[in-house]
Amino acid sequence: MGSISLNGINKSFGSTEVLKDINLDIKDGEFLILIGPSGCGKSTLMNLIAGLEDLTGGEIIIDDKDVSEESPKDRDIAMVFQSYALYPTMNVARNICFGLEMSKMPKNEQEVILKKVSSLLQIDHLLDRKPGQLSGGQRQRVAMGRALARSPKVFLFDEPLSNLDAKLRVEMRTEIKKLHQRIGTTIVYVTHDQIEAMTLADRIAVLKDGELQQVGTPYEIYNDPVSHFVADFMGSPGMNFIECIVKDEKLIIESGGEKYELEIPCKDAINNSKLDVVLLGIRPEMLTEIQPSVEKNSYIHQIKFDVDVLEPMGADTVAIGQWNESEVMARLSPESGNAAGKGFDLQVDTSKAILFDPNSGLRIR
Amino acid sequence: MNKFNLLNINFGRAAIYFILFLFAFIYLAPLYVMFTTSLKDIEEIRSGNLMALPIDPTLYAWKKAWASACTGSECKGLAPYFWNSVRIVFPAVIISTILGAFNGYALAKWKFKGSEFLFGALLFGCFIPFQVILLPMAKLLGALGLANTVTGLVLVHVIYGIAFTTLFFRNYYVGIPTELVKAAKLDGASFLKIFRHIFIPLSTPIFVVTIIWQFTQIWNDFLFGVVYSGSGTQPITVALNNLVNTSVGGKEYNVDMAAAIIAALPTLIVYIIAGKYFVRGLTAGAVKG
Repeated sequence: MGSISLNGINKSFGSTEVLKDINLDIKDGEFLILIGPSGCGKSTLMNLIAGLEDLTGGEIIIDDKDVSEESPKDRDIAMVFQSYALYPTMNVARNICFGLEMSKMPKNEQEVILKKVSSLLQIDHLLDRKPGQLSGGQRQRVAMGRALARSPKVFLFDEPLSNLDAKLRVEMRTEIKKLHQRIGTTIVYVTHDQIEAMTLADRIAVLKDGELQQVGTPYEIYNDPVSHFVADFMGSPGMNFIECIVKDEKLIIESGGEKYELEIPCKDAINNSKLDVVLLGIRPEMLTEIQPSVEKNSYIHQIKFDVDVLEPMGADTVAIGQWNESEVMARLSPESGNAAGKGFDLQVDTSKAILFDPNSGLRIR
Repeated sequence: MNKFNLLNINFGRAAIYFILFLFAFIYLAPLYVMFTTSLKDIEEIRSGNLMALPIDPTLYAWKKAWASACTGSECKGLAPYFWNSVRIVFPAVIISTILGAFNGYALAKWKFKGSEFLFGALLFGCFIPFQVILLPMAKLLGALGLANTVTGLVLVHVIYGIAFTTLFFRNYYVGIPTELVKAAKLDGASFLKIFRHIFIPLSTPIFVVTIIWQFTQIWNDFLFGVVYSGSGTQPITVALNNLVNTSVGGKEYNVDMAAAIIAALPTLIVYIIAGKYFVRGLTAGAVKG
């Protein structure tokens, strides 16, 4: 068991409010990702859950028990730190068993757990080494082993992969996901990397300036963001935002001497908002070369696009150019990417387009 | 071009070494004179050259300085005072180092309201001159009934040393990542267990630095020694002073020199054994960041 309820969490350092009224229920066995730009309070929230910092207001409930006032060791939580925080003078085995040693578990029981954990993480051969003799990936494993050994109710991961090189990061990401599937313990995971968030999470909680913006599955966060901020933060390359004039339930865009009328699915939203100008949000993958195979419908538009910069990514090529005085990114196939230039014929699919209020940044529904 | 550069470098090197050797020679010359003089007999000192090697080396001066030279009215050499110093230095070094380690650990990793102020106040202790506290400390020792005792001197040195030892340990521990403390807290370790299992094993360099520092300071102290000791509890520095200033008959320079070396020997030995740690420890914080 390991469900967590955060009720009305507030945290201030002096007069600076770092977290403002955070309410979040994390289910037992869930993999929850806290994401946000640096300084948004995500690590502070994690420290509060761990009990390493004191709450200014609100309560933290783990398994129906209010732990707000309890010390870290009584909360039955294990944490993996960004810097791994392995004890430098102890070998790997003692690092893993230190928590058990502190809880006065008999040596032979410690041995059993050590064997289990080290074979699970494939670090059997490293047990006698000191942390200084390990590579980044190995340290990462040992840090996870130390957390696993105590079999806590909840794991906290504080940006655990950000010190690894790109390739290793992808490997360890997969491994953390496998690990979660195998042990099924609740995980709260802090990151600022939206790819990590998308790939790992059952649910993602997006934080900004100490406030919870949106909580939802990766699909919801990506396709149904509540605000300009969430839409912008998630996705790589990020969502395109284009200012459009509203006319007769359609969006008018003038660019390069041409005038386009875009048909969009959320007509009610336009009517309800009573705005003359809206922000059109559209993902780069909806801007492609002409796809003959796609059946023509009213949401498929064809525009002229002046490509300024090409960024080949291998599997596809991102074309960056100006459209309606906004910088717009399109995701092309590598082949058409090679041919892209001035006046490229671009297909714009608005079937998944969403609208934002240009003033408040909130979604228009 | 290449050859010219090479020549230049070699010339530069040579100049540097020349200057280094010159200064080392100037710096070591007094020690050389002390040592050679201590091995000469008094006749040779009077007639011979100051820099000359002893013609007929003798340990007479050393024996006398250690066992029978007069320090004031007593004529037992430096030996009893050497052991006084040992009895003062060991407890004072150990106690002040341990207290400094605890203070430094708490001030670096367990910040509380006012801890920065407390550290600032402690630092202030580093800048208080010995002379300022002479009278109040004498009153305090009198009130505690510790005047003229070895225990009293130990107390004085511990109190005076805490400011320095705390500073050393606090600055060293600030460089150790706080995440280690967090991890250990989550692992269920207490204040003392974190100190014992995680911080102490990391502290060898700073222990060495602090011990050398405290040992040298306390062994070489003269002022506290001369003010707070009784006739039987004088440290070796005071005894050395008395020995040199007591003249029965002519001045025995060879005995004075031997006595001075004996008095300085323990700190010399400590530096030779642990000196490399001293340098390493002082710079450890700067490199690690």
